[in-house]
Amino acid sequence: MNPGSLMKRSLTHVAIIALVFVNLVPLLIILSSSLRSPKNMTNPLNWFNEFTLESFKSAFTRMHFPTALWNSAVLTVVSVVFVVLLAAMAAYPMARIRGRLSRFLYIFFLSGLVVPGQMVLIPIIQMIKGVGIPMNQYTPILMFITCSLPFSTFLYTGFIRSSVPEEIEEAAHIDGAGLFRRFWQIVFPLILPVTVSVVITQGVWIWNDYFFNMVFITKALDAPLPVAMLGFLGDQQNPAQWNVLFAACFLCALPLLLAFLALQKYFVGGLTVGSVKG
Amino acid sequence: MNSAVMRKTMYYFVLPALLFYCLFWIIPILKLFQYSVTDYNGYVQKFNYVGFDNFKNLFQSEILGLSIKNTLIYTFITVVLGNIIALALAFLLNANIRAKGFYRSAFYIPTLFSAIVVGFIWSYVYMPDEGLIASFLNKIGITGFDTNFLGSYSKALYSIIAVDIWKNIGTSTIIFLAGLQTVPHDLIEAGKIDGAGRWKLVRFIKIPMLATSITINVTLSVINGLKAFDYPFIMTNGGPGTSTNTLIFAMYKMAFTDQQFGKASALGIISFALIIAITAIFVFTLNRREVSA
Repeated sequence: MNPGSLMKRSLTHVAIIALVFVNLVPLLIILSSSLRSPKNMTNPLNWFNEFTLESFKSAFTRMHFPTALWNSAVLTVVSVVFVVLLAAMAAYPMARIRGRLSRFLYIFFLSGLVVPGQMVLIPIIQMIKGVGIPMNQYTPILMFITCSLPFSTFLYTGFIRSSVPEEIEEAAHIDGAGLFRRFWQIVFPLILPVTVSVVITQGVWIWNDYFFNMVFITKALDAPLPVAMLGFLGDQQNPAQWNVLFAACFLCALPLLLAFLALQKYFVGGLTVGSVKG
Repeated sequence: MNSAVMRKTMYYFVLPALLFYCLFWIIPILKLFQYSVTDYNGYVQKFNYVGFDNFKNLFQSEILGLSIKNTLIYTFITVVLGNIIALALAFLLNANIRAKGFYRSAFYIPTLFSAIVVGFIWSYVYMPDEGLIASFLNKIGITGFDTNFLGSYSKALYSIIAVDIWKNIGTSTIIFLAGLQTVPHDLIEAGKIDGAGRWKLVRFIKIPMLATSITINVTLSVINGLKAFDYPFIMTNGGPGTSTNTLIFAMYKMAFTDQQFGKASALGIISFALIIAITAIFVFTLNRREVSA
């Protein structure tokens, strides 16, 4: 390696590290503050001047962490399972049949992407009451499934069209497999990359959503993590509460950070499945 | 296509999804049209039809123009700045260096935080006197600079826009990076042999090859910007005054704080029309360019 290119590489590293630092500095300062005791009110910029889990302990009990974590997990897992099943099934005919109805359905689903949930909230609540669905901690699941359909059917349809050859299905058809078996035993396993992508992209927003949860969930012990955070709302203006607030912020983000560390490859791959074709 | 294999009975597969989608998304949207011509307050199931009064009312009020303006500024800046920064980062991270994966993850991490946590964190960053930026400026000896970012009429909107960009940059960067990695190496080599400099390689080979990623990122960020709600809601409550009211925030406040659901629905219909029109223009132009590129 010649010295010029070594120099260039080092400069690139320095530039990137500087950018990474600027990007993550709010998070680092907050991590350092969360590791202080609640009483330590020295300037947050004197970072990492104390290491204790006291603030974390206090945040842990105040947000009922284990309960909130469990609630988040239930909401997310149930919603994502339904999204995968419904979206994959819906995409199948949209990808396979070429005709007006199929084209209409594709655009019909996709256009839902532009509508914000805040806009239709009141009619949605009326509809839920109207069809006799009880309003409880599981009601947000309905909205998570519905709001995830546009993007998920879009990903599935594109992928089935481009990457699952019709010939495989024809062969199965000749062997006597019905529509149902063909879909579940042949097509569904082949679209696993999109399933990973749907699980990750939709799972992350559902896990992090506070809006629908906040609307439907009224009892503190039913709250998932982001809603448990709402209990700290008054503390952002009050420096005396910062260390505990910041610990709560980290506790709230921790499960996804760990999931990301463990499954990095899938997160990165999942984001790009639908986006580099063409 | 073999129609004996791909039979129309396949359409039954759409039904479960269609049921959810119509019940909890489409019918509520249609309801909005009905409410937009009533004086419904959102709670008492008794209302009168008032014709186009709500629309007239809105067009005479200040909030409509203001929230449209704010939404357009929000969208324009997040789309342009967000994508340019993400593209630049992607080019930087695509260099042949070690620890690429680590750097990429470092930029992606903010994406994993819930908007509510991001709101808390940045409220601290922007806090006057004791916040991160204020105490940093103080430390390096810069005083006399107004650090009340969220409390200032002129700065609040731009401050929350910066938060949105920070949160979403990781996703766009990863999509651009994946696009860059599909640029065939021979194409770059051929360009070099033809004497193209670095900028020409970027301009005439890499950018055109990135067309699909650009379409996706721009479309997603346009939609995200037009739907902006989270940071006005969590960080500024629309204020100070109405300076950070986006369309969707203004509508939410009208419906839930002022209990004017009829009027809010009318605002919803206007927002809806605006969002559809702008998204359609973008999708149409970008798709056309993509084909020709």
